[in-house]
Amino acid sequence: MVAVRRPAQKPAPQSADERVLVEAAQADPAKFGALYELHFQRIYYFIARRVRDRATAEDLTSEVFHKALANLPSYEWRGAPFGAWLFRIAANAIADQFKRTSREQRGANDPQSPGEQRDGSSFDLEAMDYHARLFRLVEQLPGVQQRVIRERFVEQRSIREIAERLNRTQGAVKQLQFRALQTLRAQMEGAHA
Amino acid sequence: MPKRSPAIALQLDRAIEAMLASAPRKSQPKLSPALAQLLPIAGALRDSPRPEFKSTLKADLQRRTTMTEAAAPAPAAPETPPFRPPNFPNIAPYFLVHGAPQFIDFLVAAFDGAEGFRVPRPDGTIMHAEVRIGDSVVELAEANEQYPTRPMTTHLYVPDSDASYARALEAGATSVYAVADQHWGDRQGCVKDPFGNVWHVATPKTWVPSVEGIRAVQPFLHLRDAHNFIPFVEAAFGAEAMDVAKSLEGLILHATLKIARATFEIDQAHGELQPTPAYLHVYVPDTDAMYAKALAAGAIGVTPPSDAPYGDRTATVKDPFGNTWFLATYRGAAQP
Repeated sequence: MVAVRRPAQKPAPQSADERVLVEAAQADPAKFGALYELHFQRIYYFIARRVRDRATAEDLTSEVFHKALANLPSYEWRGAPFGAWLFRIAANAIADQFKRTSREQRGANDPQSPGEQRDGSSFDLEAMDYHARLFRLVEQLPGVQQRVIRERFVEQRSIREIAERLNRTQGAVKQLQFRALQTLRAQMEGAHA
Repeated sequence: MPKRSPAIALQLDRAIEAMLASAPRKSQPKLSPALAQLLPIAGALRDSPRPEFKSTLKADLQRRTTMTEAAAPAPAAPETPPFRPPNFPNIAPYFLVHGAPQFIDFLVAAFDGAEGFRVPRPDGTIMHAEVRIGDSVVELAEANEQYPTRPMTTHLYVPDSDASYARALEAGATSVYAVADQHWGDRQGCVKDPFGNVWHVATPKTWVPSVEGIRAVQPFLHLRDAHNFIPFVEAAFGAEAMDVAKSLEGLILHATLKIARATFEIDQAHGELQPTPAYLHVYVPDTDAMYAKALAAGAIGVTPPSDAPYGDRTATVKDPFGNTWFLATYRGAAQP
């Protein structure tokens, strides 16, 4: 479990800024991309922490954004952030997924899915903001460091495999990994300042 | 510090290796406090999304918004005055081929094309013809010295890609790749017709087209420097990038661009799909203004704006990527 002392950044923009984005997307669905960029990392992380594997996390994330886009015209601004609406859709998608899974495995216990998380109502907002910020920072790393991070932690490849794929020595890949993590940590700490 | 850096990197990696292998905490290597602070970052990164997933989902959503837009009759602001002929998409690939009559036969046999009309030259060759496919139009003419043949690539949406792919092969095309379910949600195959043109033949599978549906014919440009093309068409033709999927190196894996109400696609040339400079016929609200804008953005003027005998205001420019753009503004049917 990641130790999270306090949010690495302010929560995603809400109120006025977000409202403008929502209204723009309602008027022109082609502008939904801005809302997607704003919320993708948080929604993905929210789901990924609650399901068993990456494939399910991707399926459900996809379902959430497709549903959000389809239902955007009926979304009404009532003061609650747009993100909260997305989390509600995500929580329902996760709950449905658990229902499907438990039907398929009738009687089986699922130690990976603690009850308090099944409806998605209990989650650590700070951890979510922390991860969303971290994932965005990865996108800003220099290309080769970004690739090392992706291959090492997302694809979970060995240093040797990565070295072969990048045509570098294993020592060089370890250095890139070290530098990338140092940069990320410094930036995460900087965001706390 | 620099001297110790390799040893530190090694020490850190041992701890990461143990973490990734979910080794019990007590068997994990001891780290200095500075290095120990990096480990939670590494742990958190395991939950990060695949960048390809993020960009593919965005592209799917964007494609859906394109369709939603096409389906909604109300938001489509009326063109005042209309700048394109009735029932004509405002961008059409213009094929220049050797054997235009046979090419028309191929389009009819393979893709249910319906010939609109043909205008012969005095020597009997085809000066201009139009074939409607689905909701779109492709134009063609017999190639000549001034306008030599140029094989082009098209993304073609059909009701049944398996059937169209099979019919295209029967009509003389060769397979580039067989029909299969593609990760972007289409059931798609690819053929090369006897004239050298490439057709990606697709039917939406995991996404639902709108009532009106996506345009059947979407020109597809494979470009050497695709990332430079986008700012060019934005500046020259007021194009809008609907979705852009990039590789980690910044290469354009795929992008959909929109001019007025029609879309076309681009990607970075790769493998067999090398640059195939296209001829594109684009209806725009103001040919003269667009011509000036295109030149300012770096295009070369081929023919300046003039009134065509059939009534359109037309001009031709060539872009820095080798594509030829026939610009036109419809001004009503030609007067007898």
